[in-house]
Amino acid sequence: MTLHSSRPDARTDLLHGTLDMLILQTLQWGPQHGYAIGRTIRAQSSDVLQVEAGSLYPALQRLAKRGWVTSKWGQTEANQRAKFYRLTPEGKKQLLREESRWTELVNAISRIMKPGVMPATEE
Amino acid sequence: MSIRSWLKRRRLDDQDFDEEVRAHLAIAADERVADGEDRQSARLASLKDFGNVALTTESVRRVWTPWWLAALHDQMSDVRYAIRALAKNPVFSLTVVGVLTLGIALNAAVFTMLKGLALSPIAGVERSAALAVIFGETSSGRQLPISYPAYQYIRDHDRAFSGLMGSSVASLGLGRGRSARPIWGELVTGNYFEILGVRAERGRTLLPSDEIAPGRHPVVVLSDGLWRRNYGADPDIVGKSIEINNYPLTVVGVADATFHGTTVVYDVEVYVPVMMAPDLGFKFGSQHTTPSEILSDPRATLFYPQGYLRPGTTIANAAAQADALGAQLSRERPLTDALQSLKVVPFWRTPGGAPMILLPTLMVLSAMGLLVLLIACANIAGLVLVRGMSRRGEIAVRLALGATRTRIVRLLIVENLVLALPGAILGVLLAQQGIPLLVGYAEGLSAPNRIFFNIGVDRLVLAFAALVACGSALVFGLVPALQSTQVDLVSVINADASPRGAARGRLRTGLVIAQVAVSLVLLVGAGLVTRSLEAARRTYPGFDRDHVTALALDVKQNGYDERSGRVFYRHLLDAARADRGIESASLALYNPLAFLETRTQRMAIEGYEPRRGEDLAFMSNIVSSDYFRTLRINLVAGREFEDRDDESAAPVAVVNQTLAQRFWGSAPNAIGKRIRAAEGDWRTVIGVAADVKYVRIDEAPRPYFYVPLLQSYRSNLILSTRGEAPVDRLVEQARARIAALDPDLPIVHAGTLAESTRGALMLFQLMATMLFLFGAAGMALAAIGTYGLVSYIVKQSTHEIGIRLALGATSRSVVLAFLARGARLGAIGAAIGVAAALGLTRLLGSALFGVSATDVLSFARALAIVLGIVIVATLVPAWRAARTDPLSALRHQ
Repeated sequence: MTLHSSRPDARTDLLHGTLDMLILQTLQWGPQHGYAIGRTIRAQSSDVLQVEAGSLYPALQRLAKRGWVTSKWGQTEANQRAKFYRLTPEGKKQLLREESRWTELVNAISRIMKPGVMPATEE
Repeated sequence: MSIRSWLKRRRLDDQDFDEEVRAHLAIAADERVADGEDRQSARLASLKDFGNVALTTESVRRVWTPWWLAALHDQMSDVRYAIRALAKNPVFSLTVVGVLTLGIALNAAVFTMLKGLALSPIAGVERSAALAVIFGETSSGRQLPISYPAYQYIRDHDRAFSGLMGSSVASLGLGRGRSARPIWGELVTGNYFEILGVRAERGRTLLPSDEIAPGRHPVVVLSDGLWRRNYGADPDIVGKSIEINNYPLTVVGVADATFHGTTVVYDVEVYVPVMMAPDLGFKFGSQHTTPSEILSDPRATLFYPQGYLRPGTTIANAAAQADALGAQLSRERPLTDALQSLKVVPFWRTPGGAPMILLPTLMVLSAMGLLVLLIACANIAGLVLVRGMSRRGEIAVRLALGATRTRIVRLLIVENLVLALPGAILGVLLAQQGIPLLVGYAEGLSAPNRIFFNIGVDRLVLAFAALVACGSALVFGLVPALQSTQVDLVSVINADASPRGAARGRLRTGLVIAQVAVSLVLLVGAGLVTRSLEAARRTYPGFDRDHVTALALDVKQNGYDERSGRVFYRHLLDAARADRGIESASLALYNPLAFLETRTQRMAIEGYEPRRGEDLAFMSNIVSSDYFRTLRINLVAGREFEDRDDESAAPVAVVNQTLAQRFWGSAPNAIGKRIRAAEGDWRTVIGVAADVKYVRIDEAPRPYFYVPLLQSYRSNLILSTRGEAPVDRLVEQARARIAALDPDLPIVHAGTLAESTRGALMLFQLMATMLFLFGAAGMALAAIGTYGLVSYIVKQSTHEIGIRLALGATSRSVVLAFLARGARLGAIGAAIGVAAALGLTRLLGSALFGVSATDVLSFARALAIVLGIVIVATLVPAWRAARTDPLSALRHQ
């Protein structure tokens, strides 16, 4: 279930993977800059998930390295210079894969935590 | 991606990310301001929200770092830690580095020589070790060069080589008059440079078009060295004319600076088309070949053709083809000489070549070098082990804090590599400094002829040193490192430091035994070779080399032909004999004991019917009257050559005692019998001379014969004079004589007979020197190591000593107990060492002379030294321990 990595930090892949999935999900609706991504995740999770810059930016770089997002400097509506991240077609496919994996995981955990109750499927 | 481009990218990414962070902060602050905060606190708050900028930058950067670089980064921290740890223990570190330096230097030096002889024997030519060489072999295994007509035939019909060239090294006279001097030249075929892939640095090389017709190519290519030394690097050298053997040749080019010719050890300075050999007065082979015939006479053996094999062809294939070609050749052009078959060998096995002569010696040296390194490793392993003991606490804490064993072993190995690399670097530097000393020694022996060894310290040598260093780091580091991690956490943390792990004890005693054994082998080897050298020095060579001069001349270097040459030598002998204080004077083609395997000639012997296929071939010399008197070689029967044995008289010869006894039973019987060399005349034996060591001091008696100079002219001869005066004065006197007769004739070499025989002892001497060095180094290492280990074992037993003393043991009995232990280890090591030495010294074979490989004295000496060291190494610390106060010894732990 973990992503394959030649790096020794494979232990944290589950968490990384989840954050990566959240970022990809956020970018689904169009290009956004780093700060906005963090703000969106926080807002949509009703302030439960606070993504720190220290996790967000390395995650963005990881996604860029894998070719799932691309980045480009641009202007915000407030006329601020910012780097915008955009989902690539490859990234879209990855998002679908992550979603199904996530659903599977949630279902499995739910079955353990609340035996007998069928979990609600996402969306 | 190269590190440089990666670093550049990394810098750009860093800037980019800095900007991104700034943008992030600006947007966050703007948002807060929009929510009503004041700008100052908004900025601070957003900065606080962001968290650690430097750490984030670092994480972002790591995403882009290739994994191997990240691993290297971890490794670097290990290295930094290792350096810190080692710097805290400078005595240990310096000892290890010193020991390794010595071990690696010796091995690098031997490897450099090995490289120069076998792996890359021709400087300036890539893949020179891949060259293959053709030679002829008679049924008795006599190896012969190939004549020019045979070469042409082979070159045109062979399919195994992608090209075949030939070169023959020769001493040539450069210039005319007082500045004339002898140099090494090669007479080469037109495709020589093309096949070797050597370019001209200036002008052109020799080309196939320089090999059309005899005498039609008066051109020469100079070596870079000659061009710089003799012609001041004259930029307009091409087109100028220089004189060689008194014959004008036009310089067409200067060969590449790295190239020194294909004759290993010779520094070749000019390359002349082989077609010019007759005009330069060369005469190869048969007595009857005139210079003009040397390119057409199949008996005039000229050189060993060589070249690269075609891709996919093996030496064995080539040999089979050459064999068939040889058979074909002798059918088409029957040879009068006994050339039976053609052989193909790799370059390093060129008959009579320096690699062939020196390699066996070098192999012995390599083995010795490895033994020294082995001792060094055992030595360091001991030190690492002892140090590992004192670091058990540190390692236990690390393990307790969760470090994996792999991680700790890795750290320890890195520590060992940190120790090994300076050893490698210093070792290479030491070898680099030491090798020129050895070469200088060889140059001194061969002066004024120039020699050249391809002994530069290059990438190959560096790679070898690095490999040796890493290999030894693993050998000396891995086992102790693994052992150090097998600590029992509880016992260490309980500060019970008693180190009585059985395995560790075994390893330590094993190391002591191994060191004793290996150093014994080294010492026996060194002892045997030293005794061989003594024996060689004591041996009487059959002639008296004191008070005799040896001046080598080659009159063709000043344009003499046979007739004028004869007249010159006649006058020279008369003048030398007339000099004051000269007892006798003579001329000879060769000096005895000159370390020169000279040509052998096929012999017919009156009254002896050779067996079928037997190839009787002996060496011979051409000497003037008074030769035997001058060198004080005893005449056993008959008379020596006199002036009446000239061209008009009957052909005569003097044979040596071995020849006389072998074919006619006794010396007096030989007088009046007849012998015939090659296709020459039958010669009547008029005298029998005592045996002499003709080539090397350790040779077995061999048949030999002498022919009078007046019946067999040579242009290159050695003048010897004997007198009472100091020999240096005799040399000056003879030199003056020659100059008075012809001031323009270059003297090839002026020295004494004793000096000219030094070469024969040189191999012994070199071998003995190196072995002595190796033996001494190994000895010193083993002494340090054994002492260190044994005394450490004793020191660890301070506790035990304390108990014994407290229980009433006398200090004497304590010392004796330890001595017995030490002696037991020493005895086991010595027994193994003696057994190994008995097996290994056989390999010294050719290097030994006058002593057997099982020489008792050498073994006894080595044993005494080794056991002495073990005893001292045990006695001193045991004595010290026994004198301590038992209470403090007990309290110690």
